[in-house]
Amino acid sequence: MAVSATSAPVPAPARFDFAKAEGNGIRDFLRTFAVAVRLGWQLEANWTDPLLFFIYSVAKPVSSALILVVMLEVIGGPSGRAFRPFVVVGSALWSFVVSGIAGLAFSILEDRERFRMLKYVYVSPSDFLTVLVGRGVARVGVGLAGAAITVAVGVVVLGVPFDLGSVNWPLFVTVFLLGLWSIVAVGLLMAGVVIQTRQESWSYPEAFAGALFLVAGAVFPLAVLPALVQVIGLLTPLSWWIAGIREALFPGGPGSIGGAGSVFAGAFGHAQPGPLEIVLALMATGAIATLGAVAVFRVSDRRAKQAGLYDRTTGS
Amino acid sequence: MAGIIDLVGRAGIGPHEAADWSRRQELMTDLRSVRGRAYPRVIGLAREPSWVLFEILLPFLATAAFVFVYRAIGAPQEYVGFVVLGGALTAFWLNVIWMMANQLYWEKSQGNLELYFAAPMHFMSILFGMAIGGIVMSTTRAATVLLIAGLVFGVTFSVDQWALLLGVFLLTLAALYGLGMVLASLFLVWGREAWHMGQMLTEPVYFVSGLNFPVARLGFLGALSVAFIPLATGLDAMRQLAFTDAAFPLGTPDPLLEVAILTVMTVVSILAARWMLITMERRARRDGRLSIRWQ
Amino acid sequence: MPPLAIEVRGIRRVYSAKPAPVVALDRVDLHVAPGEFFGLLGPNGAGKTTLIKILTTLLLPSAGTARVFGFDVERDTKKIRRIMNMVAGGEQSGYGILTVREQLWMFTQFYGLAGGDGWRRVDELIEAVGLTEQRIQRVSTLSTGQRQKMNLARGLLNDPWILFLDEPTLGLDVSAARSLRELIVDWKRAVPGRTILLTTHYMAEADELCDRIAIVDHGRILAIGSPDELKRRVQRESIFRLELDHLDGGVATLVRLPGVVSASEAAGAIDAATRQTVVMNLVLEDDGVLGQVVGALARTGSEILGLRKSEPTLEDVFVELVGRGFAESDAEAAGKAG
Repeated sequence: MAVSATSAPVPAPARFDFAKAEGNGIRDFLRTFAVAVRLGWQLEANWTDPLLFFIYSVAKPVSSALILVVMLEVIGGPSGRAFRPFVVVGSALWSFVVSGIAGLAFSILEDRERFRMLKYVYVSPSDFLTVLVGRGVARVGVGLAGAAITVAVGVVVLGVPFDLGSVNWPLFVTVFLLGLWSIVAVGLLMAGVVIQTRQESWSYPEAFAGALFLVAGAVFPLAVLPALVQVIGLLTPLSWWIAGIREALFPGGPGSIGGAGSVFAGAFGHAQPGPLEIVLALMATGAIATLGAVAVFRVSDRRAKQAGLYDRTTGS
Repeated sequence: MAGIIDLVGRAGIGPHEAADWSRRQELMTDLRSVRGRAYPRVIGLAREPSWVLFEILLPFLATAAFVFVYRAIGAPQEYVGFVVLGGALTAFWLNVIWMMANQLYWEKSQGNLELYFAAPMHFMSILFGMAIGGIVMSTTRAATVLLIAGLVFGVTFSVDQWALLLGVFLLTLAALYGLGMVLASLFLVWGREAWHMGQMLTEPVYFVSGLNFPVARLGFLGALSVAFIPLATGLDAMRQLAFTDAAFPLGTPDPLLEVAILTVMTVVSILAARWMLITMERRARRDGRLSIRWQ
Repeated sequence: MPPLAIEVRGIRRVYSAKPAPVVALDRVDLHVAPGEFFGLLGPNGAGKTTLIKILTTLLLPSAGTARVFGFDVERDTKKIRRIMNMVAGGEQSGYGILTVREQLWMFTQFYGLAGGDGWRRVDELIEAVGLTEQRIQRVSTLSTGQRQKMNLARGLLNDPWILFLDEPTLGLDVSAARSLRELIVDWKRAVPGRTILLTTHYMAEADELCDRIAIVDHGRILAIGSPDELKRRVQRESIFRLELDHLDGGVATLVRLPGVVSASEAAGAIDAATRQTVVMNLVLEDDGVLGQVVGALARTGSEILGLRKSEPTLEDVFVELVGRGFAESDAEAAGKAG
């Protein structure tokens, strides 16, 4: 289109604001994280019938605990009830672990396969990892509620003895936060895996959590496992997390790590780890898990960009 | 375009003749559609080997965890067998929930559903195809769990009636996937909440089906499960037939009664699935919801 | 008399929505003869896709009747499904884990082809649409253009008598869109009686492909005709652009002639410095008047250096009928959607 000499002068192009491209560091991070958490919560809860949502977040963990309680009852009868607090608490904690691990991976699958939004999230200025973790927080919240309700059901209905006054709160808070970090790290690892896999990967996070269930001492002491599997369990932060939470809630009660003839007892010369040992072991194994998860995620991310996996849909 | 020009398979046949199919043509199309829909599931097994790890080995470890629970409390060896059989059958249940019940909702969001409806086969063929593909996938997993567990945990089966056991297994699959077909239409109607429904149908159903223990231990709840949940019925019948030496609690139904229940479940669920599909299609055509996503 | 390929009478479709029901189609009548390439042209939200969904048995009309080759869309769904197929732009159907060849074969099974026949048909169609190199490539890795070619091949698998194309070139680049249009035209030409109903909001596409076009807006058909007929509706006079070496007496010389509606010098088109040529726009009552104009110019000694007829476009037709352009209509539809 020709422009005549009498036309209004063309305005000068707006100057590019480099400061905007730089971003605002921590403020951007917090904003992204908050938005992701809110989105995750809305996806998780707001689109769903509240009653159904409640049943789902409670029915699953309580049922898991009940399976174990009946197993004890079938074999041990009244004498098996001594073991009940162990399995109820372990089962409740494990439902929380599964929620945390699955949260991040499901965000990838939902956004890519169902909402087809993953590529847009990826190319947005928000940090992808922050968005993912934020999305996963909603499921962690749901898992936490489920775990608390399961313990409550255990105390009120199943007669699990619990004294709020005897809880070692400093240990509980320390171990809980460190463990949460480790759970998110394992979730990140699974997110890295499902970036590479196909649409039917919905069951993968739970399958992975199921495998960790064997080695984490959630519902039986590690000592009953073969020595090699016990070692794997001792290298898993989730084992220390569960042991730490148990020790905090039931100080001096039966633990999942150690015991006569266990690998722990053989290696460290005493039957069960103390609180400090648990915290240190959780920090060490958590750090290794975090480094491993970040490495796996970065490799997966690079491969996904090379292979164009962020905007594909698969399925069969 | 020479290829397309040469491809006119019904030269001299007008649209009316082309639309007029014989019963045999209809039947063959339905059967071929079953094969067509099963194809991606079966071929997918070979294409992405990650499922071997995530759908066989890791679930086996989860099953193993329950074996160790029994070992920790000194349970008799047949209970290890119960857990292993339960673990094997969960492969089918999970497949029914995630790859049958949830599938039509996913097909809709993918845009496949309207193409299926616009094609001339009966939609039940699609469901049967999904089921057969799923059975192939899950049987692989279940067989692997049984085999590895048998070797690792020394599970020994004591079977007197192999034919009946096989019959119960096949009937259980038929009833399970029949239920999956019913749930597929229901989940499509429920839309976004289907995901949560799927979640609700895992652990709670495992519990009431007696996944790791004889279902009769649950008393009336167990009886209800045997009457209405094919996983509970099939698992209980198969346990009785595969571990004839084991002692089962009072109130355990006779396997032949459970065969009858499974048969009724199969017939009812397939008829219900057919009725629901027809109803759903009519509703969807009326309301315009066959191709609208995220509803 | 053989039935029409499409016969729509008084179709109305209302979607229940909040705050008020949406009328997608409002008393639409349409007849398409077998063998026709028929276009539905209209902006987003005009009701084109709704009509296609009704004709492809995916949606019931709220009122009225629709028939495809004489088969009722409500009652004879199976028969219609045996002789039709459909392809939509941006379609993502199928399973990403399959290769192109496998995906298409899967669909042949839904149309009842025997296994071996299905593979043969797939291979021939893959070659015909130019996807031979991608035949064993996974569907999830195809480009948009390749994907749409595969979708077209899927639409031809059952050798349909009627093919419904819903914005088939949506999102494709110029070359891919052209290639797809050529494929469609070739396929249709190959057998008399093959019928195509195309919805598009690309004017040039409708103009190039369609024997007849219905212009649709707000659920109503505003006009039906061949592209030429529709254009003639807005151009009741003939408009020519004329270049002469000179014109004694100016444009008034021509305006006086019978049948000449107006004549005006084209602004800025005259070489003012040398006045070597004269360019003018000439509006005549019809093309026949042109002979008199040429005769008159010859008598005045003017030499015709150039003569070009100005053609209206379908956009002009749409503006004439609707009172606004396509872009404005789309923006309006988007505004409503938002």
